[in-house]
Amino acid sequence: MGTSGASRDGGSSGARLRATDVARAFKGVQALEGLNFELGRHEVVGLIGPNGAGKTTLINVITGFDRPTAGAIELDGVDVTGWPASRRARAGLARTFQQGRVFGELTVQENVELGALGVGAGAHQARARADELLSIMQLADHAKLPASLLAHGEQRKVAVARALASRPRYVLMDEPAAGLFESDISAFAEVIRSVRDGYDAGVLIVDHNMALIMAVSDRIEVLDQGRSLASGTPEEIRRNIDVAAAYLGASGVTAERERG
Amino acid sequence: MSRLAPIRPLLAPVLLIVLVTLVGSLTSTATQQNFITALVSVTIVIGLYVFMGNSGVISFGQVSFVAIGAYAAGELTIPTGPKHYVLPGLWSFIAEHSVGNLPSLAIAAGLGALYALVVGLPLMRLSGLSAGIATFAVLEITYNLLTFWPKIAPQSGQTLSLVPTTTGLTQAAAGAIVAAVVAFAYQRSRRGRLLRASREDQSAALAIGVDIHRERLIAFTLSGAVSGLAGGLLVHQIGSITPSQVYLELTFLTLAMLVVGGTGSLWGATVGAVLVSLLDSYLNQAENGLHLGLFKLTLPSGAADLILGVLLTAMLVLRPRGLTGGREWQLGRPRVSKIRSASAMSYLGRGRARR
Repeated sequence: MGTSGASRDGGSSGARLRATDVARAFKGVQALEGLNFELGRHEVVGLIGPNGAGKTTLINVITGFDRPTAGAIELDGVDVTGWPASRRARAGLARTFQQGRVFGELTVQENVELGALGVGAGAHQARARADELLSIMQLADHAKLPASLLAHGEQRKVAVARALASRPRYVLMDEPAAGLFESDISAFAEVIRSVRDGYDAGVLIVDHNMALIMAVSDRIEVLDQGRSLASGTPEEIRRNIDVAAAYLGASGVTAERERG
Repeated sequence: MSRLAPIRPLLAPVLLIVLVTLVGSLTSTATQQNFITALVSVTIVIGLYVFMGNSGVISFGQVSFVAIGAYAAGELTIPTGPKHYVLPGLWSFIAEHSVGNLPSLAIAAGLGALYALVVGLPLMRLSGLSAGIATFAVLEITYNLLTFWPKIAPQSGQTLSLVPTTTGLTQAAAGAIVAAVVAFAYQRSRRGRLLRASREDQSAALAIGVDIHRERLIAFTLSGAVSGLAGGLLVHQIGSITPSQVYLELTFLTLAMLVVGGTGSLWGATVGAVLVSLLDSYLNQAENGLHLGLFKLTLPSGAADLILGVLLTAMLVLRPRGLTGGREWQLGRPRVSKIRSASAMSYLGRGRARR
């Protein structure tokens, strides 16, 4: 992250999601401090760090659910810092929430359709996208159930499908795999790769499941106390001892090495 | 039957309206007024529902739009001759024009929508308690305008009379059905679905791109149109109107109807309006002595409102989502609760098997 990310823009097309020098303070607590972050189309970035590192705050600031106290957000070259969240969503910036936040009384299918309707798709198109995503996400069996009846892990999958139904240019996922069965994780990793390759979208993923993050990320950013601690390929991060101290703990690193 | 599937939830409200009309047509002229009142109430409550039910935001101001509709339709259908005598202060373009029954209803709906749009522009930025209080202020403003501004209404709150009484059972039923169809079409539309999503979870709605202020304003305006139509039906039923007839009591009564039926569904709005309206009519008659076969029931003055208040309170405590639970009733389909539990069981079974 940090300077390496910021200097990479050069004369490129500008088709990036970019947070520049972003700061956010809550009553004296500095949740984010002079943070630079970039996400390209066709890229999966894993964002990790201990609790309170500022991961969710960064997602909130980028998507317009929170105002930065300093800094700017740019979406494909357009400054969107003053835009409300709904407008950013319509411009191609989708997100999911830690809590899932499905529309509990609506069916799984209606939830996913709304993702498309929200950005202006017609009913017919919304239905087609929902059918496609429900099958990709292996939710088709539950299509007619009220979303509140699903287990928490499944609800998060609905929320991911809903975000993807908008055909976003960038999608920011906050712990999408929490509550999933271990056996579902590899299928979920496949979904994320196909979002990158099939939808040509940039994906930011925050999750505590290190195996998932290592498996899907093209690049990993490590946050600690609102600052960038490290950035690199999964392999580089795995070797990074600072990360071990901040996140995994010494034994965690050993475990990762043994597994790898 | 499958062609009917998309409009199935509309059938129950429309059939109830037709039923009320048929029963009303079998009764004496005097009793029939209770049924006409019930049908006009359905239209008013559907107007209220279009905004409150879909947005989840409370409004105490909806009866303002009924008032605007009632005065517009009333003043425009009084023949110009007598109008100059009874309403000398009226603005000349109102005084010098008269229209027929149907155009007056269309104008009532249009003015209701326009007024709601103008009022809604600032108001829809509010939510929660401040939205409720601000809509109440609108009711207050409208009441005072209609009472004390002789250019738009009779002087100092006097009765606007000589309005042709064109709202019989047929017109009341037709109006209620139009309101139900409009409300249903809206809640099925893309915009209606987006607003209903924001009712369930505002953050999630923002995240999928819903401009909540704009969607609320659209619903508020549409609700103003239906309420304005209802006002037109009302004034053509009674043949006269005073500001206090479209003020606090009607606001309380129609809110009670919506809450008792269930705020979340068109079916709830219709059921609540019919039941509470008929109950209210008969309780009021009972205060003057109501003949029930051999008995004569006489309630003390004030008992009608008291009973309605108790009913509303009990409903809020015991069944806050109303008689219908805020769901549509889909004719020819198994009950929703059965689907829910059956699917839940199969789903839980699958979860266990996979583990």
